[in-house]
Amino acid sequence: MVNKKCAYILMLVLVVAAFLFSLISGTVDISCIDAVKALLGNSVDETKTSIIRHVRFPHSIMACITGAGLAVSGCVFQGILKNPLADPFTLGVSSGAVFGVAIAFISGLATVTSFFVTVCAFLGSLLSTLIVYLLSMYKRFGSNSMVLSGVITSYMFSAAVMLIFALSPATNIQSAFAWLIGTLSIFDERMVLFVAIIVILGSVVLSLSGNIINAVSLGGEKSRTLGINIEGSIKFLFLTASLITAATVSVCGIIGFVGLITPHIMRKIVGTNNVILIPVSAFAGAFFLLTCDTLARTLFKPMVIPVGVITNIIGGSFFVFLLLKRENSIA
Amino acid sequence: MIHIENISAGYLNRTVLKKISCNIGSKDFFGIIGKNGAGKSTLLKVLCKLIKPYLGNIFIDNKNINFFAKKDFAKTISFLPQYVDTSLPFTVYEFIMFGRYPYMNIFKIPSDSDCNIVKKVMDFLHIMDFAERKINALSGGEKQRVLIAQVLAQETDIIVFDEPTSHLDIGSQNKLLEILRDLNEKYNKTVILTLHDLNAAGEFCNKLVLMENGEICNCGTPEEVLNYKDIERVYDTTVVVKTNPISDKPYVIPVSRIKER
Repeated sequence: MVNKKCAYILMLVLVVAAFLFSLISGTVDISCIDAVKALLGNSVDETKTSIIRHVRFPHSIMACITGAGLAVSGCVFQGILKNPLADPFTLGVSSGAVFGVAIAFISGLATVTSFFVTVCAFLGSLLSTLIVYLLSMYKRFGSNSMVLSGVITSYMFSAAVMLIFALSPATNIQSAFAWLIGTLSIFDERMVLFVAIIVILGSVVLSLSGNIINAVSLGGEKSRTLGINIEGSIKFLFLTASLITAATVSVCGIIGFVGLITPHIMRKIVGTNNVILIPVSAFAGAFFLLTCDTLARTLFKPMVIPVGVITNIIGGSFFVFLLLKRENSIA
Repeated sequence: MIHIENISAGYLNRTVLKKISCNIGSKDFFGIIGKNGAGKSTLLKVLCKLIKPYLGNIFIDNKNINFFAKKDFAKTISFLPQYVDTSLPFTVYEFIMFGRYPYMNIFKIPSDSDCNIVKKVMDFLHIMDFAERKINALSGGEKQRVLIAQVLAQETDIIVFDEPTSHLDIGSQNKLLEILRDLNEKYNKTVILTLHDLNAAGEFCNKLVLMENGEICNCGTPEEVLNYKDIERVYDTTVVVKTNPISDKPYVIPVSRIKER
């Protein structure tokens, strides 16, 4: 197992490097020195300053926060559901967000400002979280019943979304589609602070709760005899992780695989202890999404492809690799 | 001293324990024996507050267990259930540290004293060598010792085990019961456990309870409880009960019915 301090320092260095690289990459080439100067307020070319300050910096910050938030909530869901294949969307948060977005597009709110899309998506996420919470409550937050509640909620919202799209004009569907595959290009700049506050506060609290997640993973009977309020802990962890997911999803759409593979890879490197795993996964998530976003902006310059496409390709390939590796080891 | 008074408990509509009463002394190595489904594990779960009884009360040193706060109760009684999830690759050290949770703050951050106690427990059970090994990569006997270490790290006066020797070979089984006897005799812990092996129960326990259909049908010393009449009736089989010439404790030999004919 890697030393705790080494892991933090290494991940921090990687995130800073990816962040700087993300700032200088794009349709317009900007040197690293110019980018730093523009950020510090020293005079550079006005266009470049504007690009760095108003486009790339908030964009990269958003990638950082979203990646970290999704990784942290993925890590927590994997812990409380005792399922390494769980991700931030397993418990139906995203389905509610999609429903909210669909409502925003058919009601015409989306055409007023993208801010309304975010608000509707956030409210939709909270609604689906509430439904999963109420359904799980009947079975005292057992992991299987929580997953089942998530699946039920997802299907119900999917049905509603399909109905809405079937009855709406094609232009609305195309606009909503960009949001559905996850993108960092259409968020409202005012939302950066909103997401940052929720993700940072939530991630700090969840990182401090690492040992509680460890205890939950022991199984009900054992954990309860250790004097831990299992049901209360699961409720708290579920709601905090869902809030983080809701905040990121409502701004950037459904960016797949970040919350699934980053905790997965980090678990192999730093071990299962959630005290270390959660903060390290946050760094890894930020690094992963920054890198994917840079690729999305530079691969087909000047065209920018949705970052969700890149994360899904990398995530899918990673699991194919894992599957083949496992098959070989069995053989 | 544990006083179990008139306990009835069960699951949904099925009553498993029917008005059970008994006392467990603070120096007891207390064994619970009986057929599968007799209610042994349910009794332990009621004792550890994992199941709420329909009726009756349990008192520990004259205090009703319902009046213990969660943390205080976890500092009084520790429990090793039949199944503990060891599938996640925690290190042995991390896994034993879970036993210190009742003593930690809200975010469960271990103090120096927690670390020292875990090391002391590992030393006592001779498992220091595999502190950094993963729990899911240990053998059955090693894993059982780690689970016991976790229970000991909880530093409670009463320790409860649900079939701790199941799946263990005879050597590991004996070693484990010797450790529990040491805890009982040298460290004055009250040990309560369920066992399927009647010979191990006769050899190690100083008090036994024989359960049948959710009721206690006999309670006393191994010599009193392990009599062939009760054993044959409860287990519906033919047995011979003899005395071990070395330890002077009773042991039970099942006899094939075919030969009997």
